[in-house]
Amino acid sequence: MTNGEIRNIVLAVLKGIAPEIEEGELLPDRPLRDQVDLDSMDWLNFLVALHERLAVDIPEADYRKLTTLDTLIDYLVQKHV
Amino acid sequence: MVAIAHAVRVGGGAVAAWRAAVEWADAGGAALVVREALEAAREKPPVCDQGSEGWVRIALQNATLWLQAENARRPVTERVLMAALFLKAIALACEKYPDMNGLCRDGTFAPAASVHVGVAISLRQGGLIAPAIHDVQQKSLTQLMQDLTDLVKRARAGSLRSSEMSDPTITVTNLGDQGVESVFGVIYPPQVALVGFGRVAEQACVVDGGLRIIPAVMASLAADHRVSDGHRGALFLAEIHRLLQQPETL
Repeated sequence: MTNGEIRNIVLAVLKGIAPEIEEGELLPDRPLRDQVDLDSMDWLNFLVALHERLAVDIPEADYRKLTTLDTLIDYLVQKHV
Repeated sequence: MVAIAHAVRVGGGAVAAWRAAVEWADAGGAALVVREALEAAREKPPVCDQGSEGWVRIALQNATLWLQAENARRPVTERVLMAALFLKAIALACEKYPDMNGLCRDGTFAPAASVHVGVAISLRQGGLIAPAIHDVQQKSLTQLMQDLTDLVKRARAGSLRSSEMSDPTITVTNLGDQGVESVFGVIYPPQVALVGFGRVAEQACVVDGGLRIIPAVMASLAADHRVSDGHRGALFLAEIHRLLQQPETL
C-alpha cells in the first residue's frame, strides 16, 4: 500500500473515533493526540481499528514513536506488508 | 447568589447583610427557593455535606511495569489500560470501607451490597455522564477492560441502559488522563463519595531514601461528611494506594 492509501485509512479511522475533526485543520507534523483530544481509551480504540483495517499489531513499546500523523503513517507503511 | 452580592454591597455586618438580602428578595420577587433559603438561614448555619479529604500522590512504578509486561503478551484487542486498575482498586477499597459505597437519602445512609462504579465519560459533542460498571469488586481486569470499552462506546453512541445511569454506588473521574495533574470532583448525590484521578506522569519521588523519576498520579477524594469523616477518607485513599502497589493482586 502506498503512503497516500495508508494516510486515507488512518484519517477515516480517526474520523470514526473523533467525528468532529476537520482534515484540513490537522497539522501532520504536530502531536496528534493533543490536536484531536484522544484520551487513552480513544487511543487504544484507534489502534484496535487500525489493526482491524491493516492487520498491523502495534506494541505498546512503539507508542512513543507515533506522536504525529506523519510518523504514524511512516511506521504503518513500514510495518504493513 | 445575587442576594449575597446585593447584601455584600450594602455592607454592615452579617445580620445587616442578611436583612438586606431578605428585603431585596421581598422587593425583587426572588425565586421561591431563594426566599426559602434565606428564611432557613435565620435559624441554621449554612450546610455543605461534601467534605474534601484532599489528595494523595500514588506511585505507579509497579503498576506501570506490570501493565507493560502484561500488555506486551496481549494482542492489541485485549490490552489493559491503567484506568481498569484504578476501577478495581477503588472497588476493593470500598469493600474495606463500606461508608464510601452506597446511597444517602433523607439523611440516612444505606451501604450498597455490591460496588457499582460510575465512570465519568466525556461526550465528544460536549457534556459529561457517569454510568455504572456493575459488580466491579468481583470482575477480572480483562473483564473490566471489556466493560469499560463497551460502556464508553455506548455512552458516546447514546445507547446506555437506564440502570447503568441510575445505579452507581460511587463514582470515579479520570478526566486528568490527558491534561490536568489533579482532579477534584463533586459527589453525585445520593452517592456519598467520588474519587478523582489526574494525569499519570513522570514525577520526582522519594523511593527507598533516594530521589527517583517514576510514573505517579494524584488521587483525590470527595466524601459526604454525614456518612464518613476526614480520617476514614484518608484511610480509604491509603488503601487504594496500597492496592495499586500490588497490581498482580487486582
